[in-house]
Amino acid sequence: MRRVAVTGFGVVSPIGVGREAFWDALRAGRSGIGRISRFDCGRFGVQLAGEVKGALDLPGPAAAVAAEDPKVGFAWAACAEAMASAGLERLDGRTLLHLGASLELFPVERVAFGAAPGLPDLIERGLEEAGRGERPFQVPLDAACRLIQQERGRAGAALVNCSACAAGAQAIGHAFRRVRGGLFDAAVCGGFDSMINPLGVGGFQTLGALTTDNDRGPGACRPFDASRSGTVLGEGAAVFVLEPLEEARAAGKEILAEVCGYGSTMDAHGLSAPDPGGDGAARAMRGALEDAGLAPGAIGHINAHGTGTHLNDEVEAAAIRRVFEGAWERIPVSATKSLTGHLIAAAGAVEAGACLLPLVRGWIPPNPWLRRVAPGCELCHAGGEAARFEGDYVLSNSFGFGGQNASLILRRADGRR
Amino acid sequence: MERHDVVVTGVGMVTPLGATARASAEAWRAGRAAERRTLPELAGTRLAEARVAALPPFDPAERLGGRKMIRYMSDAAVLGCMAAREAAVEAGLRKRFRPERVGLFAGVGLAAPSPRDLLPLVRGSIDGEGRFSCRLLGEKGLAAANPLWSFKVLANMPPCLVSILESVKGPNLIFTPWEGQTAAALVEAWRAVAEGEADAALAGAADSAAHATTLIYLRQAGLLGEGDVPASAAAYLVLERAESARRDGWPVLARIARIEEAASGGPPDDPLAERLGRSFAAAPAVLLALAAQAPPAEVALRGADGRAFRAALEAAA
Repeated sequence: MRRVAVTGFGVVSPIGVGREAFWDALRAGRSGIGRISRFDCGRFGVQLAGEVKGALDLPGPAAAVAAEDPKVGFAWAACAEAMASAGLERLDGRTLLHLGASLELFPVERVAFGAAPGLPDLIERGLEEAGRGERPFQVPLDAACRLIQQERGRAGAALVNCSACAAGAQAIGHAFRRVRGGLFDAAVCGGFDSMINPLGVGGFQTLGALTTDNDRGPGACRPFDASRSGTVLGEGAAVFVLEPLEEARAAGKEILAEVCGYGSTMDAHGLSAPDPGGDGAARAMRGALEDAGLAPGAIGHINAHGTGTHLNDEVEAAAIRRVFEGAWERIPVSATKSLTGHLIAAAGAVEAGACLLPLVRGWIPPNPWLRRVAPGCELCHAGGEAARFEGDYVLSNSFGFGGQNASLILRRADGRR
Repeated sequence: MERHDVVVTGVGMVTPLGATARASAEAWRAGRAAERRTLPELAGTRLAEARVAALPPFDPAERLGGRKMIRYMSDAAVLGCMAAREAAVEAGLRKRFRPERVGLFAGVGLAAPSPRDLLPLVRGSIDGEGRFSCRLLGEKGLAAANPLWSFKVLANMPPCLVSILESVKGPNLIFTPWEGQTAAALVEAWRAVAEGEADAALAGAADSAAHATTLIYLRQAGLLGEGDVPASAAAYLVLERAESARRDGWPVLARIARIEEAASGGPPDDPLAERLGRSFAAAPAVLLALAAQAPPAEVALRGADGRAFRAALEAAA
């Protein structure tokens, strides 16, 4: 089987647009979390999010869709950066496009009108708007894949993965397997998302997953800390270009890292709460290790799913201790949602991108808000400042709402085998 | 890489042709067409006369063994869970395979927020001048909404409910929203079993296209052709290696000789459309489940996304 190189990476995140800005902010421990500016959240219990700052440079068609559904613009920009950095101009029949996304945008401000609207009003407005050539109420999740292919050529397969918080990692893991197995010669893969809209924030608020400690500002998302009180939504996108290592080397391409292991499991336990035993999470990590042919002790750093919710952090910490028994005390664990917020379907891809920081620049991202480790969350946590990394392998966890789990292992480009 | 022979040992369906796989297949073979009906919630609107394919009566609680989880389910999730249960029972999935070695590969259609769940939230968010107000949404609208609403619109929930109810814990992929994505999920299920990533796989899809919210979108986006009738449907299949069925002496419905998904680019061509209705994401799974009950058969479909699905099924040796 072929070894698989990361030859391109692009990112749009709350802490920076573009890979250099993203890695700089991660290393510095700069948070992108602040008060929501996208809409008037004054009467919401949740008033914090990690928003992407500034406007993106988008071509006309992408800009038009992004004006209504920002996540499509994030996907476009991350994809453009990744393809440019890999020297990949066009998609073709030997290229796989696989992107994760979580939920169709349903803009409540367009359907809420009139004194007491009912379904007939909604239908009348919807069909009138369609007659005027305006966009439908929903933006389907394949909008980004369609736009990318319209501009960059048709891919051999174009997959839209909707596996919630595991979607971005699954997209990369699946693409890695298909390039490794020779089914495709390149893959453009990752995730994109934005739930920072009235219904997105409102829906997650209703589920009780988000912190309402709004006074904490940039430090509101505190994975593994005793004072943690929920996660914070983020938004953005990250896209990888994967190619067979030998071909990429022969072409003189920059090799950022290798993808060398992937595990995918389901909890089959509950809709919003993880399996309290952490069995699904542990099996995903073990599966990735087995796929990579590695012993647990080979892993030099773990980027945890680390949402900052009570249940998730404890379950994940226990699963890590179990899988890395005898080694976990010396494997630094970071949780970059503390800086970016939780990017839902984009989280796994953005965090795989965070794993490139140690592998490319040699720094482990800090966990700046972790002051007092919560009981049950004992791990070798990254400190308040970035630390040097000299290992070869990094593992990234993504565990989704609904019980889908994905773990990825990345390897330093010049690492030992 | 060694490739194992993959066979179908269970099918489950809920379609406008029948509430079970057998009923759907019998109606299909007999050349029957689904009944058409209007949606009562569209009365008095310009879509009042719009027809959808009617589903036959069924009791999800009876089929799924209780009402508890049904509260969390969208229409598509209910259909998907019933179809998956039928397929899993027929294949003896729980008693024959370790949950960790069973994969789940699924397609899902457009999220379809129920007007029943959505309208209280909308009404609570409108100010005295008839305009939407974020402040009112925060103050009143969210409190008026069904708190379980989010579970019903998250795209991965229908298959995740299948995993919970059928205790499926292995590798998984969920794609959305059109036919080509379901076709890709079916191909991935076949590959996972053929290449040994999983010992068995539940593979299928559910879509609630005959739903008021979806109907609005389909009309707005111009996705319904002349005479097209939206249909809600679900179908799941259990795929396993031929040698495991042989080992257990388990009846085989069909062998998958070929299965593929590819770009096509032509207009939609759904052989189910005329009699069953357009079930979009569910259609490739329904087509494959019908074929699995009457091999040998070759099936082909081109979806709204321009992707083509083809499969060839043989009778068991």
